[in-house]
Amino acid sequence: METGLLVQMLLGSLLGLSVYLPLRCGQLSLATPGFYAIGGTVAALLSTRVPALGISDATYPLTSVMLEMLLAALLTGVLALGLGRVVLRLRGIYLAIATIALVEILRVVTLNLEFTGGALGIFGIPQPFSGPEGYAALTFVVLAVVCWLCDRLEKTRPGRAMAAIRDDELAAASQGINTADTKLMAFVLSALVAGVTGVVAAHFLNSWNAKLGNFDASITTLAFVVFGGSRTWLGPVFGGLLLTALPELLRPVGDLRLIVFGAVILVGPLFFPQGLITPELFQTLRRRMGRSAAPSPQGGRP
Amino acid sequence: MSLLQVQDVGVRFGGLQALQAIDLAVQEGEIFGLLGPNGAGKTTLFNVVSGLTAASSGSVRWRGAAIDGLSSHRIARLGIARTFQNLRLFNSLSCLENVLVGMHQHGRQPPLAALLQMPTFRRRESQLRQQALELLSLFGLESAAHQNAANLSYGDRRRLEMARALASRPQLLLLDEPAAGMNPSEKDDLKNLIRRVRDEFALTVLIIEHHVPLMLGLCDRLAVLNFGQRIALGNPDQVRRDPAVIEAYLGGTP
Repeated sequence: METGLLVQMLLGSLLGLSVYLPLRCGQLSLATPGFYAIGGTVAALLSTRVPALGISDATYPLTSVMLEMLLAALLTGVLALGLGRVVLRLRGIYLAIATIALVEILRVVTLNLEFTGGALGIFGIPQPFSGPEGYAALTFVVLAVVCWLCDRLEKTRPGRAMAAIRDDELAAASQGINTADTKLMAFVLSALVAGVTGVVAAHFLNSWNAKLGNFDASITTLAFVVFGGSRTWLGPVFGGLLLTALPELLRPVGDLRLIVFGAVILVGPLFFPQGLITPELFQTLRRRMGRSAAPSPQGGRP
Repeated sequence: MSLLQVQDVGVRFGGLQALQAIDLAVQEGEIFGLLGPNGAGKTTLFNVVSGLTAASSGSVRWRGAAIDGLSSHRIARLGIARTFQNLRLFNSLSCLENVLVGMHQHGRQPPLAALLQMPTFRRRESQLRQQALELLSLFGLESAAHQNAANLSYGDRRRLEMARALASRPQLLLLDEPAAGMNPSEKDDLKNLIRRVRDEFALTVLIIEHHVPLMLGLCDRLAVLNFGQRIALGNPDQVRRDPAVIEAYLGGTP
């Protein structure tokens, strides 16, 4: 497998996690590509327009990439904090529509602004690594950190509050959970992850334009979570890896590959409505491992 | 001073006057019952007290301070916990997790300690789990601790909701038809359980129930609602003999 594809798969996982965070709180937000685009634009602008960051160096310094990540996180975080207060009053499909609108607004603005390069975008983003291996390592580290944070979140109080809101928001509020703040936290975390991912992607792709954060990306990233599962962080990670790789792996099939890809996305949720990776799956696996020969006390899923 | 005071509360949904000029005061430590036929406005009153429905008029006072207009999570944090008539458990979570969510307001930990799983964090977390398990066993649910709440039997789900409400260590517990769907022997057990819980947790209980014998046997005082109005208030003996109550329940003489 090409290392370049691996980087894309890891980036896909990160975007999947970004969609997953609000969804675990029951909020169907499709704003991820918008914050991803902001992250990418920040990186593209800073690295090409601010000479002090080291564009003239032989290899672009990694510390500058870190600084871009920090600034992108700050910008997307503040933006999400403000926007979230407003859009999170909407529920279900209405929130989805509002966030799609948000992504579209950002796309059209980027497309028409002078300093973001218009339709052509920004070219010649400097490279901190000489090959894709460096990007694979960097993306892997970022993904590992985000996974670790998600894991800690799920096993502690805020994660339990998020799950409670997903199951029944009214009952959650009756347990003393500040539902508005908890949903906002999930939304902001989602924006941070998308923003940081955009920074890495901008350097990796070498150029950045408005098309990278569009409605298609909203749906693709949502598919990562629906396919992989939205109950534990492993779901979107797996979904992101698999669904990013699939179109490439299907190249030998020729023109049929997009049809097969579509069929996989369709069939996945049909047979695994909760996604491929669920907590029940782990329970079953643990039971099987515990007493491999003994039949399981409960038959199948309800 | 009364623990909870409902003063002249009215609720109007469009053209429907669901509650009209309701006055009642719940004293600390008592089991106070709300009786009334279907649609009398009992659950609406619960919703007003727990902050889910805004009163159109009047006010609700908690230890003398007005609490109307507060959001439901703020009211929960004051020490008012409730159960729901149509069961609102967190169905994708285990029984243990349901109770842990109930402990939300007491489980706050420094974020850094939680992230790094520091010993203080682990100690506190296992302490919370221990408390949650104890609560579950009080309701006979310890063996189901790791089962999903959705898989429980109906009676167990009702008991789990009570356990979850108690997990927040409330001072006032609102029980909305806790005996619905239970058989006679379960209802008897429930009566004893509510008394026991009241004594052990030093609680005040406000309870809605349709089963009149259970209510007369359990409550210290009762209020009877009919068509959004309070038609009687007093101890079980007074309520039993009240002509307005007899009329509402048995049909009046023309």
